[in-house]
Amino acid sequence: MSSAIVETTNLTKRYGRHIVVENLNLHIPAGCVYGFLGPNGAGKSTTMKMLLSLIQPSTGQVELMGRPMSRSSRRELLGDIGSLIEAPPGYAHLTGAENMALVKRLLGLTTEQIDVAVRAVRLQDQMTKQVRDYSLGMKQRLGIAMALAREPKLLILDEPTNGLDPAGIEEMRTLLRRLADDGVTVMVSSHLLGEIDKTADMLGILSGGRMIFQGSRAELMAASTPDVVFTCTDPHAAAAVLRGHGAQLTEADEVTVPGLDDRQTAGVVAALVGQGVGVFGVRRDEQTLEEVFMSLTAGGRL
Amino acid sequence: MDALTAELIKLKRSLAWPIVIGLPVVLVLAGAATQLADGTTPEDGWDTVWLQSVGFYGLFPLAVGIAVLGSLVWRVEHRGSNWNALMSSPASSLRIVVAKAAVIAGLTALMQIILYLSVLAIGKLAFSLEGMPDSQHLSITALLVVATVPAAVLQSGLSMLMRSFAVPIAVALLASGFSTAALMVAGNAALVSPYGLATRTALLGTGSFVDEGTITGGDVAAILIAAALGTVVLVLCTTAVLEHRDTRV
Repeated sequence: MSSAIVETTNLTKRYGRHIVVENLNLHIPAGCVYGFLGPNGAGKSTTMKMLLSLIQPSTGQVELMGRPMSRSSRRELLGDIGSLIEAPPGYAHLTGAENMALVKRLLGLTTEQIDVAVRAVRLQDQMTKQVRDYSLGMKQRLGIAMALAREPKLLILDEPTNGLDPAGIEEMRTLLRRLADDGVTVMVSSHLLGEIDKTADMLGILSGGRMIFQGSRAELMAASTPDVVFTCTDPHAAAAVLRGHGAQLTEADEVTVPGLDDRQTAGVVAALVGQGVGVFGVRRDEQTLEEVFMSLTAGGRL
Repeated sequence: MDALTAELIKLKRSLAWPIVIGLPVVLVLAGAATQLADGTTPEDGWDTVWLQSVGFYGLFPLAVGIAVLGSLVWRVEHRGSNWNALMSSPASSLRIVVAKAAVIAGLTALMQIILYLSVLAIGKLAFSLEGMPDSQHLSITALLVVATVPAAVLQSGLSMLMRSFAVPIAVALLASGFSTAALMVAGNAALVSPYGLATRTALLGTGSFVDEGTITGGDVAAILIAAALGTVVLVLCTTAVLEHRDTRV
């Protein structure tokens, strides 16, 4: 899990004066599911396109599987990388089977490799239909089958759950997990944490083109500073005393104070006691990962 | 070869087929329309049928036909994220460019063959002409297959660069007009233009516009050299552009 299959150094893309991705240092360990999160427009697709050399970085480097990714090396490296960027690919006037036949020809694959990929996304009963008659979810699954057929070492999927119903999303999670268990490294982007947080071993959070967090789920929780909740004898007085700290009175007559570390929390307790307010409960607010994600991406902090 | 086979699969249910068959048939019928309406026969037999069909075809419909085929072949790549998928495959840019150009040139070649067969059909069935067209016409058809390859590569490049279906066709129409004018002014020097090359070849032996009516070895050699050089230069340029081009964001 420690050797990186994807490594970027100060990866930056700018168009004129507009910076889309800034100094990105991605580190994706081999064999993991890497959840690449961020709101729409954060630069996720641009980053993925730079990884695939579909667009060239303004500055910075990309290294994939230990080799620099460039226009001269990309065709060699791309044989081991399956990808699905933005909308699912597929020729609408052809059937699913004909689309897979194209992939087979282009990549020199066997019929068995194609069949395995099609079965993995459970599309085997829809292969005689023209892709124009597919639902978005079916197109998405065909796109993933096309990416999977080459038995990639690295799979780069941009918002693969778009257009999938809840059952489809769950199926996708299971598929990604199974691929990772088989040794495939999966990088999957989403603007919704809930869609991938259960699947991802590692998370990278992008906001405004900058990486604001990269690490495990536990590290993400640890990196955030949940509010401190005080239970005391006189909540109204306590809220007044702590107004300078941004304190708020809750409906349960508790006082929450944001952004306190442990030392500051001790100081606040002392201040309350000094003002004659008895403190009989101090605890950290329980935040869901979603709340942490939302607060990080909204504030662009960390 | 695999890239070419993949391109051939994409031609299934393609709108390219009606163009390949319809354009030459319509032009041959249009060329013969007056005589068909008057119930007369062409004055110089096969030569007249050839001139009024292929002569006109070479002026600009041929270039427009190639352009339409180019736009149709590339249109599917500009849809959805097919461009991303194409450029994320291990197939080299050269292979992609050659395969696309070969498909467009191949369809264009089929168009020339159908044109020849249409001339044959209208001469025999509508005008009851005796014998067969001069073997020279068959040779010109074969030469036209080769001479239209640079135009096919160029239109493939334009349709690769432009998402628009119509703009590459408009470019072909204008460039074809300019190239015919250049042929009249500069003679064989205008063969550097792929459109000029196609027009010059179609008009060979017709004695109309830029042609004097007799086919010389020099003319044929100039056409073959221009076709070979044009194809190589345009394939290399298109490959370089594709290799360095960023996908749209």
